[in-house]
Amino acid sequence: MTDLLFLAFAAVAIGAAILAIEARDLVYGAAALGIAFLGVAGLFFLLDAAYVGWFQIAVYIGAVVVLILFTVMLVGPKMGETPLGLKRVSLLAAILVSLLLGMTGALANATAFPGQDSCGSGCDLALFSTSLLKNYGVQLEFMSLVMAAAVIGALALSKTDRGQ
Amino acid sequence: MEPLSSFFAVSVILLGIGIYGLTTKRNAIRILFSVELIYNAANLNVIAFARLRNPPIVTGQVIVLFTIALAAMEAAVGLSIIILVSRLNAEIDLSKLSKLKG
Repeated sequence: MTDLLFLAFAAVAIGAAILAIEARDLVYGAAALGIAFLGVAGLFFLLDAAYVGWFQIAVYIGAVVVLILFTVMLVGPKMGETPLGLKRVSLLAAILVSLLLGMTGALANATAFPGQDSCGSGCDLALFSTSLLKNYGVQLEFMSLVMAAAVIGALALSKTDRGQ
Repeated sequence: MEPLSSFFAVSVILLGIGIYGLTTKRNAIRILFSVELIYNAANLNVIAFARLRNPPIVTGQVIVLFTIALAAMEAAVGLSIIILVSRLNAEIDLSKLSKLKG
């Protein structure tokens, strides 16, 4: 059962990721990106990280994909990509990706990483929230500060001087 | 339970797709897609590695929570820059943007 679910989620994530990069229309690309995020969230659920999975769905699909869709609509649908003239760059990309895929093959054969049937205390939500607020409270506050700065910066960047 | 190496394999494939998009695409929004895919690969890797210890630890999930928040901020700032650039230049082909070149 878990094997089947894993295969389904992995196939959805990888296929939708390829579609997001290669789709001709940017709107379809953004939708495929959302589906890829959904697949990765499913993998999080399989790893017993349910809270992170829901967070991924809320933030990525609820916020990031919608933001991207709005930007695609604002910037306009006509942004045809010029075909890549640089042969060397695509060669480099092909070499890098095939190296990574070779690493994947090596990993798939590795038996050094056994799966654990039950996560136990490592995935307990109460322990997770205690650790988040107790051990990482300062980091959490810093994160909210950085988030406020980023949002204000984004607003200041895209502000138009229409009054003058 | 699937062995953890298959989760690492999915993560590596997502990273490969992201790097491919970063090197071959020129549209700024498409490059943002690639960066988000690489973020997802890293998050998956961290969560899977947190399961590797016996007993598993929650620190991996906390770190991934922070990473997701950071990725959302990065997307917000990047998209506002893209809107600004498209207003100034009428196109967002990154290979044609040379305003900051000395």
